[in-house]
This record gives sequence, C-alpha cells and structure tokens, in this order.
Amino acid sequence: MPGTTDFSLSRPQRKTVISLTPLIDVVFILLVFFMLASSFLDWRSIQLSTPVLGDQAAAVPSETARLIEVRATGVVFDGAVLTDAALQERLSDIASTDLDQAFTIRPALDAPVQRLVFVLDQLQAAALTQITLIPGGAR
Amino acid sequence: MKLQRARQPIREDGLLPLINIVFLLLIFFMVVGRLSAVDPFPIDPPASSSHAPAPADQDSLVALGPQGRLALDGIEMTEEDLLSALADRVGRRESVQVHIKADGAADAVMLVALMERLRQTGLTEVTLLAVTKAGL
Repeated sequence: MPGTTDFSLSRPQRKTVISLTPLIDVVFILLVFFMLASSFLDWRSIQLSTPVLGDQAAAVPSETARLIEVRATGVVFDGAVLTDAALQERLSDIASTDLDQAFTIRPALDAPVQRLVFVLDQLQAAALTQITLIPGGAR
Repeated sequence: MKLQRARQPIREDGLLPLINIVFLLLIFFMVVGRLSAVDPFPIDPPASSSHAPAPADQDSLVALGPQGRLALDGIEMTEEDLLSALADRVGRRESVQVHIKADGAADAVMLVALMERLRQTGLTEVTLLAVTKAGL
C-alpha cells in the first residue's frame, strides 16, 4: 500500500520532539489547585462529655465537684477571681493530692470558646480528667 | 526555516529545570497538604496544647461560627434542623461521632448550650476540634 510506504519513509526523519508546553500547562494547573485546596492546619481533638440535662443536674455529685467559672480574663475558682497563672498553680496543687477530684466548668456570658479550651488544656496538663461542663449564663 | 527547527529543542531543554521544580512542588503539595471540605463560613479554630490527634473520620461535623451560625457537614442550617438531622442519624446508626469545629471567638455559653441539646438527642460524647498553638 502506498500509505504504509509513506509512513515508513517519514519515520526516519522525525526530528520534532513532543512539545513539553502542554505538559507544563497541566502540571501548573494541578500545582495551583493543590496549593489552593490543601490545608496545613495541624488539627487536635478534645474529647468531652455533653452536659447533663438541667433536671438531672441534681444527680451529679456536685458537693464534691469544684466549680470553675471561665471568664474572658481569668477564672472564678472557689469563689475567688484567679489569674490564669494562679489557676495553674492551684490545679497542680490539687492534682498532687487528689487526681480524682471532679471539676465542673461553667462558661461566663462573655467568655469565648478559646478561653474554655484554654482552661480545659490547663486541667489536662494537670492530669485532672473528671470534668463536667454545665451551661452558663442563666444559672 | 531550518534555523528555527534547530533552535526549538534547545529552548525546551532550558525549561527542564523549571519543570523539575514545578513537579517537586506539585508532589509536595499533594503529599503534605490535606484536602478538606470548605466550611460554609470562615472558622478560626481555637488553639490547644492537647496532644490527641484529630480523628481521621469526620463523620458528623458540626461547625459553629463566631456569630452562632451552625452547619452540619458543610451545609448551613438552623439549630432545629441540625438537631433533628443528628437525632435521625442516632436513630439509624449505632455510634455517631460528632465533631464540633467551633470558632475560637464564638460564645462558650452557646457552645455548651449546643452540647446540652446534643445530649437531648442521645449523644453523650463529642469531640471538640482545635489546632496546635503556634510554636508548639
């Protein structure tokens, strides 16, 4: 067939390489996609029990649990306003005597989530794990 | 004509280092970065010194925005819709792991109130998501 002869003749003189430009285009698009879509945040998790319902709150051993009220700055613990550093000291004191001490945490009206997480971190750092959250504001 | 032909491969050879770098960057972003669903509203998660890594399965993800906006699995909805959707899941499946991605500036009272209502739907354990502190 004349067609095949033509091909076999044209084969030896292929000097043009496949252009890299389309490949680079695609790779650039993929690169931009992954740069924009991927996130590098290092996520952590805090396991929490949901607060007991209002009418069951009496069932909680609240006599032994100590209340920490989380405020926007500092906390209220044992009826006294404490700075974060003072709270840390108190918690490590308690942890050295009684690791099973239960805590009740109540956020104040103006406290952001970051403050709550900070106090939870402090308790975790002191290895105190008996934590109950109770709704703030009204009560 | 002949001169142009001869020059073309040389120009592409000069591009090879660029392509190498771009490929390396591409592989870096593919391997290191984690693709995640986009939140319906911006969330600035709280920083925590917790060492527990975030669970891989983002089964039921509740997002709480700074103005109290709520979303379940990336779809913004009202609190009633969210709670009924979660109650539905609790009814259908054995274990439902709820992850709460709350904004660090959101009201803590609001977060605890939300957790209290989650308890009403039968969920006793939730996971609060946070990011590592800068410098840790």
